[in-house]
Amino acid sequence: MKPEDLARSLPPVLAPVLLGVEAFPGFAARVRFRREGALDVFRAIHDLGFTHLAMIGGIDWVDHREVIYTVWSDEARTYLLLSTDVPADDPRVESAVPVWPSANWHEREAWELVGITFDHHPDLRHLLTPDGYAFHPLLRSFKIHEPEELEVKTRHV
Amino acid sequence: MTATPAAVAPPKNASKVESHRADAELPMAGEPAVPFLEIEALRAREFIPAAKEALTDLIAEQGQSKLIRPVFNWAGRNSLFPLHWGLACCAIEFAAAFGARWDAERFGVVPRSSPRQSDLMIVNGTVTWKVAHKLITLYEQMPEPKWVIAMGNCATGGGPFRTAYSVVPGVDKLVPVDVYIAGCPPRPEAMLDGILLLETLIRERKE
Repeated sequence: MKPEDLARSLPPVLAPVLLGVEAFPGFAARVRFRREGALDVFRAIHDLGFTHLAMIGGIDWVDHREVIYTVWSDEARTYLLLSTDVPADDPRVESAVPVWPSANWHEREAWELVGITFDHHPDLRHLLTPDGYAFHPLLRSFKIHEPEELEVKTRHV
Repeated sequence: MTATPAAVAPPKNASKVESHRADAELPMAGEPAVPFLEIEALRAREFIPAAKEALTDLIAEQGQSKLIRPVFNWAGRNSLFPLHWGLACCAIEFAAAFGARWDAERFGVVPRSSPRQSDLMIVNGTVTWKVAHKLITLYEQMPEPKWVIAMGNCATGGGPFRTAYSVVPGVDKLVPVDVYIAGCPPRPEAMLDGILLLETLIRERKE
């Protein structure tokens, strides 16, 4: 599946939210989209046969953050990369759980480690860090704390 | 094998660390001179008459309270039941110590699956803040008297992950630790060495 073919097979109503479909090494293509139309893009991609969500990740580019989704198609035997940019002062995007239920824990992890909020997530709790953990440790602004300082700030009920 | 002692006691017992291997043969100061208490093992049919004779004399001489403590220490140090749980790669060495080659059951150490049946917690691996309150719950569920061994560098002081965002820098921040075992991971011999050190500490226990 070439990027041009994929761009043609996406429904035309998505044109306002699609920012580009380009080649990307290791993937069939990289689809960039605006976060406002995230759920529509997820549904369209899922209808193309990409039924398995392999990974959700967050990247901190300091001036903005990026959410990436890796999806897999059993029919085309290929991965597809979806990505959207979110501003650093308002890092939120629509949850992919209605389309891919396996997004649940991936989004919890991206929320607690990179600080990206997923709207309408059914259960946005801490996954790897304790409840009440006050940091987003994979952000570039996170400083390595002295153990004692971390202990005081992390001590939970 | 002449390895350096891998297990160390807390600093307050520092003077006794050097000679804990040699202590086993020496009578402990302050321990009542009861013949059978210095014997580590007896046949069952020899034990009952020996214990009966020794106890009857001693109760008459010294009263009950002075007698109970060494008996409990003697029984407790020869039947340490660690909690059967693993946190990280040290748990593999923990499991190997109970295999055929090292056979920790020689020392009466039998892992139990319930904290209610355990009197020893071997913290074998990296303790994260996520698991910290579960570790404390398990510790509080264990009946008294109970002991804790911090096995490996991670449980002792956080190890290479000491400054990580999710790691408790030493399990002694959560529960009191009796014996620290160094190593990453410690070999089963080192774990057995730590258990033997703990047995000498229990032998000196007064209250």
